[in-house]
Amino acid sequence: MLKRVTVILRDIWDVLAAEVRRVFSDKTTIVIFFLATVVYPPLYYYIYHLEALHEMPVAVVDLSHSDASKRFVHKLDATPELTVAYRCASMAEAGRLLSDHNVKAVFLLPRDYGACLAQDKTAHVTCFCDISSFIYYKNALMGGSDVMLDEMHCIELQHQSTEGVTGEQAEVQVQPIAYDDVKLFNPTGGYASYFIPALLLLVVHQTLFFGICVLCGDANENRRALRLIPPHLRRRSIHRVTLGRLLCFLLIYFPIALFDLWIMPRLFGLPQLGSIADILLFLLPFIVATACFAMTFGNLFSRQRMSTLLCGLFFSVILFFLSGLVWPQSNMPRFWLALSYLFPSTPGIQGFVRISSMGATLAEVRGEYLALWIQAAAYFATACLSLRMIKLFKRK
Amino acid sequence: MIRVAYRELRRMLMKPRYPIILTLGVAFSFIFFATMTEEGQPQELPVGVVDLDGTYLSRRLCHELDATPAVHVKAVFQNHTEARQAMQRGEVFAFYEIPAGTYNEVLQFRSPHFVLYTNQSYLLAGSLSYRQLATMGKLAAGAVQREVLRKKGVDEAKIMGLIQPIALETHPVGNATGNYQVYLMTTLIPGIIALMAMLHTAYVIGRERQERTVRNWMRKAGGDALKAFLGKMAPYTFHYTGLLVVAEIIMYGPMHFPMGGSWLLLALLSLLLVVAAQCAGCFLMGCIPDPSVAMSLTSAYGTLAFTMCGFSFPVDAMPLAMQAFSLMFPLRHYFLAMRDVTLFGNGLGVCWPQVATLVAFGLLLLVGAWMFNRQYERGTAC
Repeated sequence: MLKRVTVILRDIWDVLAAEVRRVFSDKTTIVIFFLATVVYPPLYYYIYHLEALHEMPVAVVDLSHSDASKRFVHKLDATPELTVAYRCASMAEAGRLLSDHNVKAVFLLPRDYGACLAQDKTAHVTCFCDISSFIYYKNALMGGSDVMLDEMHCIELQHQSTEGVTGEQAEVQVQPIAYDDVKLFNPTGGYASYFIPALLLLVVHQTLFFGICVLCGDANENRRALRLIPPHLRRRSIHRVTLGRLLCFLLIYFPIALFDLWIMPRLFGLPQLGSIADILLFLLPFIVATACFAMTFGNLFSRQRMSTLLCGLFFSVILFFLSGLVWPQSNMPRFWLALSYLFPSTPGIQGFVRISSMGATLAEVRGEYLALWIQAAAYFATACLSLRMIKLFKRK
Repeated sequence: MIRVAYRELRRMLMKPRYPIILTLGVAFSFIFFATMTEEGQPQELPVGVVDLDGTYLSRRLCHELDATPAVHVKAVFQNHTEARQAMQRGEVFAFYEIPAGTYNEVLQFRSPHFVLYTNQSYLLAGSLSYRQLATMGKLAAGAVQREVLRKKGVDEAKIMGLIQPIALETHPVGNATGNYQVYLMTTLIPGIIALMAMLHTAYVIGRERQERTVRNWMRKAGGDALKAFLGKMAPYTFHYTGLLVVAEIIMYGPMHFPMGGSWLLLALLSLLLVVAAQCAGCFLMGCIPDPSVAMSLTSAYGTLAFTMCGFSFPVDAMPLAMQAFSLMFPLRHYFLAMRDVTLFGNGLGVCWPQVATLVAFGLLLLVGAWMFNRQYERGTAC
């Protein structure tokens, strides 16, 4: 019995050692595994580290020239989101500025703005904005409505005081129900805190996938796929080959993943509420599932070294959308939701973002965790089967 | 050059596996984004309410919240912890906490405080549900104010002006409903096609090196690397520009995406985008002798384009160095010019700088060909 175990361990060790040698002797896998995972995270962080667009230039067309309208414009200028770059005499002038991209939004205060307020009627402010990026739209909307709310509050308090109601009583009349808003997990609504954790996980997923596919493609292209399987393991013990390779990728990728997903966010000062133990436990099935998924895919479809990069790269964009971080999972068509769970990146991103950014424990992401283990088991089986298929195919 | 193009066309048709897979890939991406974001803006986002008050007022607020199209009340929680855990499980994107005694406080004019929690880790879902819930908070306060004013005998016509002295209307130019599908697809689909054009061109050049057929290829081009590259690119230029134009016809035609400008200009931009991306691919392939390494660097550069084009996170919000870096991506220039043409209805008069920059990407091809030629003459090009 003991002898049998030693033989198994020895076989696995041999495959592992051979695979490690293969990874380190291939320039392309070194670029993908070690360069991409080290360069991408700081680069993306640097791109997004300002978090939000501040002081977006806007133009104002104030046709009313009243005290109230001037106050509105001053307040617009004072918001962190907007800065009044141009004051225009006519809408035509402002429209030109907008269409030449000198400003991202135009606020129009109509001729009767001051008069309406004086007569207790609703005054209408119109905002035209550039929507080529949703952030422009969001800034115009947020800045505009903050000023509107503040102005409304002031005006209503004035009304109250003309009626002789002042102080706390006036406040209550104006705001009979108040609300405080608490933005959880990403208090500034920043882009880096939202985007980077998911992006880092996708980087780990994609580099591991493409690296393994390059190795498989290389083996298939040079007709070495069969030679790489030790002869005595080709029959019923083929799972030892898969296990040995898997261990090799685990050994390489656990430190990489830890660096990208735990050390990097700390260095960048991104929200990280999860415990290291939870992250480690979560990463284990994620890496196993991704590696086995990549081995299955690579064995079956990577005919040449570079073919997977050529045909599969565009899928990175789709995987990101399938993960449900941008378009919420609750609003995805059922078919795409089901399809998204074929890829380890979906439960990976969902689970990791919740652990890392939202402080969830493993118990709170148990659905995703279970999905990853199921994927890991299923893809391990398919990885073994696909190796066997190479063997059968070659024998013919 | 025509002989090289003919040779490439034959190579392409002899082994049509990759052109077919990539064409299917474009079709898949198109269908994916078209069906995924069909709603335009996410509707009926799941939110929750922690109802500690349990009165007529709090229940009515729940119902009214549920009745809006933007959100739906998925659960009413007993306490804050339950709600927070549901948020961490991803079941709700936001929740209202209505403290005990709210109704009494309203009746006694003591201004009770609701607390609105939103999950900003999901930026889109978080901010949309925030907007809806905050509006409901305002409306609830407005309803109380209206009742008070009515009881005071204020004229019904005047009440609205007193409760809401200012109204802000927002009009996004060109995309009036803030349709997310328009926003995503008009940039992502060209981006995906340009990525494929670049990788495919790089790949076929790399194959020549790997199969050691460079000599044969260069002989067909009369020993001129520029002609060899141009001939190699030509079939793919047609293929991918064709795909992109078809995609644009479907988007701006039957799918009714906003289109304010000239179709011809858009087609020209599409052609320039594909060619510029191909030139970048040729440059990397020409400079780096190891085809696999070159291919992985091309991939790295290609994926960055989606970030650097600035359609999700605007380039003006990036650090200065990155703003300069963004100029190196054809998709960035296409995105700027496409926005001018489709959303603003501008012509060449406004977007000529982008057109000129896209044309300037041809310089990369010259450099790439020159480098390749040197390797060929030294005999290191394989």
